[in-house]
Amino acid sequence: MSKGKIAIIGIGEVPTRNMPERTHWDIIYDTCMEAVRDSGLNKNDIEGAISVTPQAQPKIAAELSFGKLPEELGLKGCKDAVSVNAGGASTSNAIRLAEQWITSGIAKAVLVHHVTVHSTIPIPDLINFFAKAGVDQQWEYPYGTTYNIIMGLMANRYIKETGCKPEEMASVVTALRSWAAKDPNSFFYGKEVPSVEKVMASSLLNTPLHKRESNVLGDGGCAMVIVSAEDAKKMKRPAAYKLGDSVRYFSGTCVMRDFYKVAEGFIVTAKEAMSQAGITKDDVSLWNCYLAYPLAHPLIAELLEVAPQGMGGKYFLEGRMSFGGDIPWSSIGDAPGRGHTGSGVSSACYVETARQLMGKAGERQVKNCKYVYQNAGGGSGFNNIATIWGRDF
Amino acid sequence: MDFDMTKPNPEVQPWSMKFWEGTKEGKLLIQFCKDCKSNIFYPRKFCPECWSKNLDWKQAGGKATVYTFSTAYDMVEPKFTDELPYTIAYVDLEEGIRLMTRIVECKPEDIEIGMPVEVVFYPRNDFMLPYFRPVKK
Repeated sequence: MSKGKIAIIGIGEVPTRNMPERTHWDIIYDTCMEAVRDSGLNKNDIEGAISVTPQAQPKIAAELSFGKLPEELGLKGCKDAVSVNAGGASTSNAIRLAEQWITSGIAKAVLVHHVTVHSTIPIPDLINFFAKAGVDQQWEYPYGTTYNIIMGLMANRYIKETGCKPEEMASVVTALRSWAAKDPNSFFYGKEVPSVEKVMASSLLNTPLHKRESNVLGDGGCAMVIVSAEDAKKMKRPAAYKLGDSVRYFSGTCVMRDFYKVAEGFIVTAKEAMSQAGITKDDVSLWNCYLAYPLAHPLIAELLEVAPQGMGGKYFLEGRMSFGGDIPWSSIGDAPGRGHTGSGVSSACYVETARQLMGKAGERQVKNCKYVYQNAGGGSGFNNIATIWGRDF
Repeated sequence: MDFDMTKPNPEVQPWSMKFWEGTKEGKLLIQFCKDCKSNIFYPRKFCPECWSKNLDWKQAGGKATVYTFSTAYDMVEPKFTDELPYTIAYVDLEEGIRLMTRIVECKPEDIEIGMPVEVVFYPRNDFMLPYFRPVKK
Protein backbone atom coordinates (compact mmCIF):
# COMPACT_ATOMS: atom_id res chain seq x y z
CA MET A 1 0.00 0.00 0.00
CA SER A 2 1.63 3.25 1.14
CA LYS A 3 4.69 1.77 2.79
CA GLY A 4 7.91 3.55 2.06
CA LYS A 5 6.94 5.41 -1.12
CA ILE A 6 7.43 9.00 -0.02
CA ALA A 7 9.20 11.05 2.61
CA ILE A 8 9.07 14.59 3.94
CA ILE A 9 12.57 16.04 3.65
CA GLY A 10 12.00 19.74 4.34
CA ILE A 11 9.75 21.71 6.68
CA GLY A 12 8.99 25.37 7.30
CA GLU A 13 6.63 27.10 9.70
CA VAL A 14 5.80 30.50 11.15
CA PRO A 15 4.57 31.12 14.71
CA THR A 16 0.80 30.98 15.20
CA ARG A 17 -0.23 34.46 16.27
CA ASN A 18 -2.87 37.08 15.61
CA MET A 19 -0.85 39.40 13.36
CA PRO A 20 -3.06 41.16 10.81
CA GLU A 21 -0.01 42.96 9.42
CA ARG A 22 1.43 39.58 8.35
CA THR A 23 -0.32 38.91 5.03
CA HIS A 24 -1.16 35.57 3.46
CA TRP A 25 1.68 35.97 1.01
CA ASP A 26 4.12 36.93 3.79
CA ILE A 27 3.40 33.58 5.39
CA ILE A 28 3.51 31.69 2.11
CA TYR A 29 6.92 33.13 1.22
CA ASP A 30 8.38 32.46 4.67
CA THR A 31 7.08 28.91 5.10
CA CYS A 32 7.66 27.66 1.57
CA MET A 33 11.16 29.13 1.26
CA GLU A 34 12.13 27.70 4.64
CA ALA A 35 10.83 24.25 3.67
CA VAL A 36 12.70 24.24 0.35
CA ARG A 37 15.92 25.40 2.00
CA ASP A 38 15.48 22.79 4.74
CA SER A 39 15.14 20.08 2.09
CA GLY A 40 18.50 20.90 0.54
CA LEU A 41 16.85 21.22 -2.89
CA ASN A 42 16.86 24.21 -5.22
CA LYS A 43 13.55 26.04 -5.69
CA ASN A 44 13.54 24.96 -9.32
CA ASP A 45 13.63 21.29 -8.26
CA ILE A 46 10.05 21.65 -7.02
CA GLU A 47 7.91 20.09 -9.74
CA GLY A 48 4.51 20.22 -8.04
CA ALA A 49 2.78 22.63 -5.64
CA ILE A 50 -0.22 21.66 -3.54
CA SER A 51 -2.10 24.13 -1.36
CA VAL A 52 -4.25 23.10 1.57
CA THR A 53 -7.30 25.27 0.95
CA PRO A 54 -7.69 28.04 3.54
CA GLN A 55 -11.19 28.01 5.03
CA ALA A 56 -13.34 31.19 5.13
CA GLN A 57 -10.73 33.09 3.07
CA PRO A 58 -12.14 33.11 -0.46
CA LYS A 59 -9.63 35.58 -1.97
CA ILE A 60 -6.46 33.68 -1.13
CA ALA A 61 -8.23 30.37 -1.77
CA ALA A 62 -9.06 31.55 -5.29
CA GLU A 63 -5.53 32.83 -5.93
CA LEU A 64 -4.04 29.52 -4.87
CA SER A 65 -6.53 27.33 -6.69
CA PHE A 66 -5.97 29.39 -9.83
CA GLY A 67 -2.27 28.57 -9.76
CA LYS A 68 -0.52 31.68 -8.47
CA LEU A 69 1.92 30.01 -6.06
CA PRO A 70 4.60 28.68 -8.49
CA GLU A 71 4.64 32.00 -10.33
CA GLU A 72 4.88 34.08 -7.14
CA LEU A 73 7.74 31.98 -5.72
CA GLY A 74 9.51 31.57 -9.06
CA LEU A 75 9.35 27.78 -9.06
CA LYS A 76 10.65 27.47 -12.62
CA GLY A 77 10.53 23.68 -12.69
CA CYS A 78 6.96 23.39 -11.48
CA LYS A 79 4.77 21.26 -13.75
CA ASP A 80 1.47 21.62 -11.93
CA ALA A 81 -0.31 23.33 -9.03
CA VAL A 82 -3.58 22.54 -7.28
CA SER A 83 -5.57 23.19 -4.12
CA VAL A 84 -7.02 20.42 -1.99
CA ASN A 85 -10.02 20.83 0.29
CA ALA A 86 -11.34 18.23 2.70
CA GLY A 87 -11.52 20.52 5.74
CA GLY A 88 -9.20 19.24 8.45
CA ALA A 89 -8.34 16.23 6.29
CA SER A 90 -6.99 18.44 3.48
CA THR A 91 -3.35 17.96 4.40
CA SER A 92 -3.66 14.16 4.45
CA ASN A 93 -5.13 14.33 0.97
CA ALA A 94 -2.51 16.82 -0.23
CA ILE A 95 0.16 14.35 0.88
CA ARG A 96 -1.68 11.51 -0.89
CA LEU A 97 -1.80 13.58 -4.07
CA ALA A 98 1.91 14.32 -3.73
CA GLU A 99 2.45 10.57 -3.42
CA GLN A 100 0.45 9.98 -6.59
CA TRP A 101 2.40 12.64 -8.51
CA ILE A 102 5.71 11.21 -7.31
CA THR A 103 4.94 7.53 -7.91
CA SER A 104 3.41 8.22 -11.35
CA GLY A 105 6.38 10.28 -12.45
CA ILE A 106 4.56 13.60 -12.70
CA ALA A 107 6.83 15.24 -10.12
CA LYS A 108 9.99 14.29 -8.28
CA ALA A 109 9.66 16.91 -5.54
CA VAL A 110 6.36 18.37 -4.32
CA LEU A 111 5.74 21.39 -2.10
CA VAL A 112 2.69 21.11 0.21
CA HIS A 113 1.72 24.18 2.22
CA HIS A 114 -1.02 25.87 4.20
CA VAL A 115 -1.74 29.49 5.16
CA THR A 116 -4.48 31.04 7.24
CA VAL A 117 -5.03 34.63 8.38
CA HIS A 118 -8.08 34.75 10.61
CA SER A 119 -7.32 38.15 12.11
CA THR A 120 -8.37 40.14 9.05
CA ILE A 121 -11.70 38.37 8.56
CA PRO A 122 -14.61 40.51 9.83
CA ILE A 123 -15.77 38.99 13.12
CA PRO A 124 -19.41 38.53 12.01
CA ASP A 125 -18.19 36.59 8.95
CA LEU A 126 -15.88 34.48 11.09
CA ILE A 127 -18.58 33.63 13.60
CA ASN A 128 -21.06 32.82 10.86
CA PHE A 129 -18.56 30.64 8.96
CA PHE A 130 -17.71 28.52 11.98
CA ALA A 131 -21.38 28.28 12.97
CA LYS A 132 -22.33 26.88 9.57
CA ALA A 133 -19.32 24.89 8.36
CA GLY A 134 -19.92 21.20 8.80
CA VAL A 135 -23.37 21.81 10.28
CA ASP A 136 -26.40 20.79 8.22
CA GLN A 137 -28.42 23.82 7.15
CA GLN A 138 -31.75 22.02 7.28
CA TRP A 139 -31.53 19.54 10.16
CA GLU A 140 -29.03 21.15 12.57
CA TYR A 141 -28.30 24.83 12.05
CA PRO A 142 -31.86 26.12 12.68
CA TYR A 143 -31.72 24.72 16.23
CA GLY A 144 -28.79 26.99 17.09
CA THR A 145 -26.01 24.44 17.26
CA THR A 146 -22.29 25.25 17.08
CA TYR A 147 -19.05 23.27 16.87
CA ASN A 148 -18.73 23.67 20.62
CA ILE A 149 -22.17 22.17 21.10
CA ILE A 150 -21.38 19.26 18.77
CA MET A 151 -18.37 18.47 20.95
CA GLY A 152 -20.50 18.89 24.07
CA LEU A 153 -22.97 16.32 22.75
CA MET A 154 -20.17 13.84 22.19
CA ALA A 155 -18.50 14.55 25.52
CA ASN A 156 -21.68 14.20 27.58
CA ARG A 157 -22.38 10.80 26.04
CA TYR A 158 -18.77 9.71 26.68
CA ILE A 159 -19.01 10.88 30.31
CA LYS A 160 -22.26 8.95 30.73
CA GLU A 161 -20.80 5.75 29.32
CA THR A 162 -17.41 5.83 31.06
CA GLY A 163 -17.90 7.82 34.24
CA CYS A 164 -15.09 10.19 33.19
CA LYS A 165 -14.93 13.04 35.70
CA PRO A 166 -14.95 16.77 34.85
CA GLU A 167 -11.47 17.22 36.34
CA GLU A 168 -10.20 14.43 34.11
CA MET A 169 -11.67 16.16 31.06
CA ALA A 170 -10.17 19.47 32.16
CA SER A 171 -6.76 17.87 32.59
CA VAL A 172 -6.57 17.32 28.82
CA VAL A 173 -6.21 21.09 28.41
CA THR A 174 -3.43 21.13 30.98
CA ALA A 175 -1.65 18.32 29.11
CA LEU A 176 -2.00 19.93 25.67
CA ARG A 177 -0.95 23.36 26.92
CA SER A 178 2.10 21.84 28.65
CA TRP A 179 3.40 20.89 25.19
CA ALA A 180 2.31 24.20 23.67
CA ALA A 181 4.21 26.18 26.29
CA LYS A 182 7.42 24.61 24.92
CA ASP A 183 6.58 25.17 21.26
CA PRO A 184 7.89 28.40 19.71
CA ASN A 185 5.24 28.14 16.99
CA SER A 186 2.37 27.93 19.45
CA PHE A 187 0.01 30.73 20.34
CA PHE A 188 0.73 29.83 23.97
CA TYR A 189 4.51 29.54 23.77
CA GLY A 190 6.06 30.49 27.08
CA LYS A 191 2.64 31.10 28.64
CA GLU A 192 1.46 29.73 31.96
CA VAL A 193 0.00 26.23 31.72
CA PRO A 194 -3.51 26.41 33.21
CA SER A 195 -4.13 24.07 36.12
CA VAL A 196 -7.10 21.72 36.15
CA GLU A 197 -8.74 24.01 38.70
CA LYS A 198 -8.23 27.03 36.46
CA VAL A 199 -9.73 25.24 33.45
CA MET A 200 -12.77 24.22 35.49
CA ALA A 201 -13.13 27.72 36.93
CA SER A 202 -13.45 29.23 33.47
CA SER A 203 -16.97 30.00 32.36
CA LEU A 204 -19.21 27.28 31.00
CA LEU A 205 -19.85 27.72 27.27
CA ASN A 206 -22.06 24.69 26.90
CA THR A 207 -22.14 21.57 29.01
CA PRO A 208 -19.61 20.15 29.72
CA LEU A 209 -17.30 22.51 27.79
CA HIS A 210 -15.57 25.34 29.67
CA LYS A 211 -14.12 28.37 27.95
CA ARG A 212 -10.57 27.08 28.38
CA GLU A 213 -11.61 23.81 26.75
CA SER A 214 -12.42 25.63 23.54
CA ASN A 215 -10.06 26.95 20.86
CA VAL A 216 -8.43 30.30 20.19
CA LEU A 217 -8.33 31.22 16.51
CA GLY A 218 -4.97 32.29 15.14
CA ASP A 219 -3.04 33.08 11.96
CA GLY A 220 -0.34 30.73 10.79
CA GLY A 221 1.09 28.53 8.12
CA CYS A 222 3.58 25.85 7.34
CA ALA A 223 5.06 23.94 4.42
CA MET A 224 6.80 20.68 3.62
CA VAL A 225 8.77 19.25 0.73
CA ILE A 226 8.01 15.67 -0.26
CA VAL A 227 10.10 13.36 -2.44
CA SER A 228 10.20 9.63 -3.09
CA ALA A 229 11.49 7.47 -0.25
CA GLU A 230 14.35 6.30 -2.46
CA ASP A 231 15.40 9.88 -3.26
CA ALA A 232 15.19 10.82 0.42
CA LYS A 233 17.43 7.90 1.28
CA LYS A 234 19.95 8.91 -1.38
CA MET A 235 20.02 12.49 -0.09
CA LYS A 236 21.24 11.21 3.30
CA ARG A 237 19.27 13.86 5.18
CA PRO A 238 16.90 13.55 8.12
CA ALA A 239 13.49 12.57 6.76
CA ALA A 240 10.05 11.33 7.77
CA TYR A 241 8.95 8.33 5.74
CA LYS A 242 5.28 7.58 5.23
CA LEU A 243 4.72 3.95 6.16
CA GLY A 244 0.95 3.48 6.49
CA ASP A 245 -2.34 5.16 5.60
CA SER A 246 -5.88 4.07 6.39
CA VAL A 247 -9.21 5.89 6.39
CA ARG A 248 -12.87 5.41 7.18
CA TYR A 249 -15.78 7.69 6.27
CA PHE A 250 -18.41 8.30 8.96
CA SER A 251 -20.99 10.91 7.90
CA GLY A 252 -21.23 14.44 6.61
CA THR A 253 -24.01 15.43 8.99
CA CYS A 254 -23.22 15.42 12.70
CA VAL A 255 -26.51 13.89 13.83
CA MET A 256 -26.07 11.01 11.37
CA ARG A 257 -22.73 10.08 12.92
CA ASP A 258 -23.06 6.83 14.77
CA PHE A 259 -20.78 7.01 17.80
CA TYR A 260 -19.93 3.31 17.63
CA LYS A 261 -19.11 3.49 13.94
CA VAL A 262 -16.72 6.35 14.69
CA ALA A 263 -15.12 4.39 17.52
CA GLU A 264 -14.73 1.36 15.29
CA GLY A 265 -13.28 3.59 12.58
CA PHE A 266 -10.56 4.91 14.86
CA ILE A 267 -9.67 1.37 15.94
CA VAL A 268 -9.61 -0.13 12.45
CA THR A 269 -7.70 2.69 10.77
CA ALA A 270 -4.99 2.58 13.42
CA LYS A 271 -4.63 -1.17 13.05
CA GLU A 272 -4.55 -1.04 9.25
CA ALA A 273 -2.01 1.78 9.15
CA MET A 274 0.21 0.02 11.70
CA SER A 275 -0.10 -3.26 9.82
CA GLN A 276 1.06 -1.56 6.61
CA ALA A 277 3.99 -0.12 8.49
CA GLY A 278 4.78 -3.49 10.03
CA ILE A 279 4.60 -2.17 13.58
CA THR A 280 2.41 -2.52 16.65
CA LYS A 281 1.16 0.15 19.05
CA ASP A 282 4.08 -0.63 21.34
CA ASP A 283 6.46 0.63 18.63
CA VAL A 284 4.81 4.07 18.43
CA SER A 285 7.06 6.77 19.90
CA LEU A 286 4.55 9.65 19.59
CA TRP A 287 0.77 9.70 19.28
CA ASN A 288 0.36 12.96 17.37
CA CYS A 289 -3.42 13.17 17.53
CA TYR A 290 -5.36 15.91 15.77
CA LEU A 291 -8.84 16.12 17.26
CA ALA A 292 -9.35 19.90 17.40
CA TYR A 293 -11.03 19.81 20.83
CA PRO A 294 -9.63 18.46 24.10
CA LEU A 295 -12.78 16.58 25.00
CA ALA A 296 -12.18 13.87 22.37
CA HIS A 297 -8.66 13.01 23.54
CA PRO A 298 -9.50 10.61 26.41
CA LEU A 299 -11.87 8.66 24.17
CA ILE A 300 -9.31 8.37 21.39
CA ALA A 301 -6.59 7.35 23.85
CA GLU A 302 -8.81 4.45 24.80
CA LEU A 303 -9.70 3.51 21.23
CA LEU A 304 -6.02 3.45 20.30
CA GLU A 305 -5.42 1.23 23.36
CA VAL A 306 -2.97 3.77 24.73
CA ALA A 307 -5.16 3.86 27.83
CA PRO A 308 -7.39 1.03 29.09
CA GLN A 309 -11.12 1.43 28.50
CA GLY A 310 -12.59 4.02 30.86
CA MET A 311 -9.13 5.21 31.93
CA GLY A 312 -8.41 7.82 29.24
CA GLY A 313 -9.32 10.77 31.44
CA LYS A 314 -7.42 9.35 34.40
CA TYR A 315 -4.26 9.02 32.29
CA PHE A 316 -4.46 12.69 31.35
CA LEU A 317 -5.13 13.73 34.94
CA GLU A 318 -2.08 11.77 36.07
CA GLY A 319 0.00 13.77 33.60
CA ARG A 320 1.01 10.78 31.55
CA MET A 321 0.28 12.59 28.24
CA SER A 322 1.74 15.91 29.41
CA PHE A 323 5.15 17.25 28.43
CA GLY A 324 7.57 15.08 30.43
CA GLY A 325 5.02 12.28 30.87
CA ASP A 326 5.63 8.69 29.83
CA ILE A 327 3.20 8.76 26.83
CA PRO A 328 4.23 11.41 24.26
CA TRP A 329 0.93 12.75 22.95
CA SER A 330 0.00 15.63 20.59
CA SER A 331 3.33 17.38 20.95
CA ILE A 332 2.13 20.72 19.55
CA GLY A 333 -0.87 20.54 21.87
CA ASP A 334 -3.41 19.97 19.07
CA ALA A 335 -5.62 22.96 18.23
CA PRO A 336 -6.21 23.97 21.87
CA GLY A 337 -2.47 24.28 22.37
CA ARG A 338 -1.35 25.54 19.00
CA GLY A 339 -4.15 28.02 18.31
CA HIS A 340 -6.73 27.10 15.69
CA THR A 341 -5.69 27.88 12.13
CA GLY A 342 -8.65 26.20 10.41
CA SER A 343 -7.49 23.38 8.20
CA GLY A 344 -3.94 24.36 9.10
CA VAL A 345 -3.87 22.54 12.43
CA SER A 346 -3.51 19.21 10.68
CA SER A 347 -0.81 20.70 8.42
CA ALA A 348 1.04 21.81 11.54
CA CYS A 349 0.62 18.32 13.01
CA TYR A 350 2.21 16.70 9.94
CA VAL A 351 5.08 19.19 10.06
CA GLU A 352 5.52 18.34 13.74
CA THR A 353 5.52 14.62 12.94
CA ALA A 354 8.32 15.24 10.43
CA ARG A 355 10.13 17.53 12.86
CA GLN A 356 10.10 14.88 15.58
CA LEU A 357 11.32 12.13 13.23
CA MET A 358 14.02 14.43 11.86
CA GLY A 359 15.17 15.11 15.42
CA LYS A 360 14.52 18.86 15.12
CA ALA A 361 11.89 19.33 17.86
CA GLY A 362 14.17 21.02 20.36
CA GLU A 363 12.86 21.00 23.90
CA ARG A 364 9.87 18.88 22.85
CA GLN A 365 11.98 16.26 21.11
CA VAL A 366 10.65 12.79 21.91
CA LYS A 367 13.57 10.61 22.85
CA ASN A 368 14.55 8.09 20.18
CA CYS A 369 11.51 9.04 18.09
CA LYS A 370 11.21 6.21 15.57
CA TYR A 371 7.53 5.89 14.65
CA VAL A 372 4.71 8.44 14.85
CA TYR A 373 0.95 7.84 14.67
CA GLN A 374 -0.59 10.88 12.96
CA ASN A 375 -4.31 11.16 12.36
CA ALA A 376 -6.54 13.80 10.81
CA GLY A 377 -10.26 14.23 10.32
CA GLY A 378 -12.23 16.44 8.00
CA GLY A 379 -15.13 18.80 8.53
CA SER A 380 -16.76 18.31 11.87
CA GLY A 381 -15.40 14.76 11.93
CA PHE A 382 -16.72 13.18 8.73
CA ASN A 383 -13.79 10.76 8.56
CA ASN A 384 -10.62 9.63 10.28
CA ILE A 385 -7.34 9.22 8.44
CA ALA A 386 -4.66 7.32 10.34
CA THR A 387 -1.07 7.43 9.11
CA ILE A 388 2.18 5.99 10.40
CA TRP A 389 5.46 7.75 9.76
CA GLY A 390 8.98 6.49 10.49
CA ARG A 391 12.47 7.93 10.48
CA ASP A 392 13.57 5.15 8.14
CA PHE A 393 12.02 2.53 5.88
CA MET B 1 -20.37 45.27 13.95
CA ASP B 2 -23.25 44.21 11.75
CA PHE B 3 -24.47 40.77 12.60
CA ASP B 4 -27.25 39.08 10.69
CA MET B 5 -29.82 38.59 13.44
CA THR B 6 -32.33 36.73 11.28
CA LYS B 7 -33.27 33.38 12.78
CA PRO B 8 -32.47 30.76 10.17
CA ASN B 9 -35.11 28.72 8.44
CA PRO B 10 -34.40 25.12 7.45
CA GLU B 11 -32.97 25.03 3.91
CA VAL B 12 -35.63 22.80 2.41
CA GLN B 13 -35.10 20.44 -0.52
CA PRO B 14 -38.03 19.50 -2.78
CA TRP B 15 -38.11 15.98 -1.32
CA SER B 16 -38.16 17.22 2.30
CA MET B 17 -41.00 19.70 1.77
CA LYS B 18 -43.54 17.16 3.02
CA PHE B 19 -41.71 16.88 6.35
CA TRP B 20 -42.05 20.61 6.97
CA GLU B 21 -45.64 20.67 5.77
CA GLY B 22 -46.28 17.95 8.35
CA THR B 23 -44.80 19.94 11.23
CA LYS B 24 -47.19 22.78 10.40
CA GLU B 25 -50.03 20.31 10.93
CA GLY B 26 -48.57 19.05 14.20
CA LYS B 27 -47.30 15.84 12.63
CA LEU B 28 -43.79 14.40 12.79
CA LEU B 29 -43.46 12.60 9.48
CA ILE B 30 -40.89 9.98 8.64
CA GLN B 31 -39.98 9.11 5.11
CA PHE B 32 -39.92 5.38 4.38
CA CYS B 33 -39.08 3.13 1.47
CA LYS B 34 -41.95 0.98 0.22
CA ASP B 35 -39.50 -1.42 -1.44
CA CYS B 36 -36.94 -2.18 1.27
CA LYS B 37 -39.14 -1.01 4.20
CA SER B 38 -36.43 1.29 5.62
CA ASN B 39 -37.30 4.31 7.71
CA ILE B 40 -35.28 7.22 6.34
CA PHE B 41 -33.88 10.26 8.08
CA TYR B 42 -33.12 12.77 6.85
CA PRO B 43 -35.48 12.68 3.83
CA ARG B 44 -33.79 11.90 0.51
CA LYS B 45 -34.60 12.00 -3.19
CA PHE B 46 -33.93 8.25 -3.35
CA CYS B 47 -33.79 5.61 -0.64
CA PRO B 48 -30.20 5.60 0.67
CA GLU B 49 -30.47 1.85 1.35
CA CYS B 50 -31.67 0.54 -2.03
CA TRP B 51 -31.84 3.63 -4.31
CA SER B 52 -35.56 3.06 -4.84
CA LYS B 53 -37.65 6.13 -5.61
CA ASN B 54 -40.74 4.35 -4.30
CA LEU B 55 -40.85 6.51 -1.17
CA ASP B 56 -43.71 7.52 1.09
CA TRP B 57 -44.36 9.10 4.50
CA LYS B 58 -45.75 7.86 7.78
CA GLN B 59 -46.47 9.67 11.00
CA ALA B 60 -44.15 9.02 13.91
CA GLY B 61 -45.57 8.52 17.39
CA GLY B 62 -43.54 11.47 18.63
CA LYS B 63 -42.01 9.62 21.59
CA ALA B 64 -38.24 9.54 21.98
CA THR B 65 -35.39 9.23 24.47
CA VAL B 66 -32.50 11.62 24.92
CA TYR B 67 -29.33 10.04 23.50
CA THR B 68 -27.15 12.99 24.48
CA PHE B 69 -27.48 16.72 25.05
CA SER B 70 -25.53 19.91 25.66
CA THR B 71 -26.91 23.07 27.23
CA ALA B 72 -25.55 26.29 25.73
CA TYR B 73 -24.82 29.26 28.01
CA ASP B 74 -22.48 31.35 25.83
CA MET B 75 -20.62 31.62 22.52
CA VAL B 76 -23.51 30.90 20.19
CA GLU B 77 -24.26 33.03 17.13
CA PRO B 78 -25.59 36.49 18.07
CA LYS B 79 -28.92 35.63 16.43
CA PHE B 80 -29.46 32.96 19.11
CA THR B 81 -28.17 34.74 22.23
CA ASP B 82 -31.66 35.96 23.17
CA GLU B 83 -32.67 32.32 23.65
CA LEU B 84 -29.82 31.37 26.04
CA PRO B 85 -29.64 29.10 27.88
CA TYR B 86 -30.95 26.42 25.55
CA THR B 87 -30.38 22.72 25.23
CA ILE B 88 -29.50 20.95 22.00
CA ALA B 89 -29.99 17.20 22.00
CA TYR B 90 -29.91 14.10 19.89
CA VAL B 91 -33.10 12.15 20.53
CA ASP B 92 -33.89 8.62 19.40
CA LEU B 93 -37.44 8.13 18.14
CA GLU B 94 -39.20 4.85 18.80
CA GLU B 95 -39.16 4.37 15.02
CA GLY B 96 -35.36 4.07 15.05
CA ILE B 97 -34.59 7.59 13.87
CA ARG B 98 -32.14 10.00 15.54
CA LEU B 99 -32.84 13.75 15.29
CA MET B 100 -31.09 16.88 16.42
CA THR B 101 -33.54 19.03 18.33
CA ARG B 102 -34.02 21.22 21.36
CA ILE B 103 -35.25 20.08 24.74
CA VAL B 104 -37.77 22.57 26.10
CA GLU B 105 -40.30 23.11 28.88
CA CYS B 106 -37.95 21.99 31.65
CA LYS B 107 -34.92 23.26 33.55
CA PRO B 108 -31.59 22.45 31.88
CA GLU B 109 -30.35 20.77 35.08
CA ASP B 110 -33.27 18.32 34.94
CA ILE B 111 -32.28 16.95 31.52
CA GLU B 112 -30.66 13.51 31.53
CA ILE B 113 -29.43 11.05 28.97
CA GLY B 114 -32.09 8.34 28.60
CA MET B 115 -34.89 10.69 29.61
CA PRO B 116 -38.22 10.03 27.81
CA VAL B 117 -39.37 13.01 25.75
CA GLU B 118 -42.20 13.83 23.36
CA VAL B 119 -42.43 16.07 20.33
CA VAL B 120 -43.83 19.58 20.53
CA PHE B 121 -43.77 22.09 17.69
CA TYR B 122 -42.35 25.59 18.04
CA PRO B 123 -42.63 28.36 15.45
CA ARG B 124 -39.63 29.66 13.49
CA ASN B 125 -40.64 32.30 10.97
CA ASP B 126 -42.96 30.43 8.57
CA PHE B 127 -41.87 27.03 9.84
CA MET B 128 -42.65 24.84 12.82
CA LEU B 129 -39.56 23.14 14.27
CA PRO B 130 -39.92 19.82 16.10
CA TYR B 131 -38.66 20.32 19.65
CA PHE B 132 -39.03 17.80 22.48
CA ARG B 133 -40.18 18.13 26.08
CA PRO B 134 -40.07 15.69 28.99
CA VAL B 135 -42.92 13.20 29.06
CA LYS B 136 -45.14 14.09 32.00
CA LYS B 137 -45.05 11.35 34.63
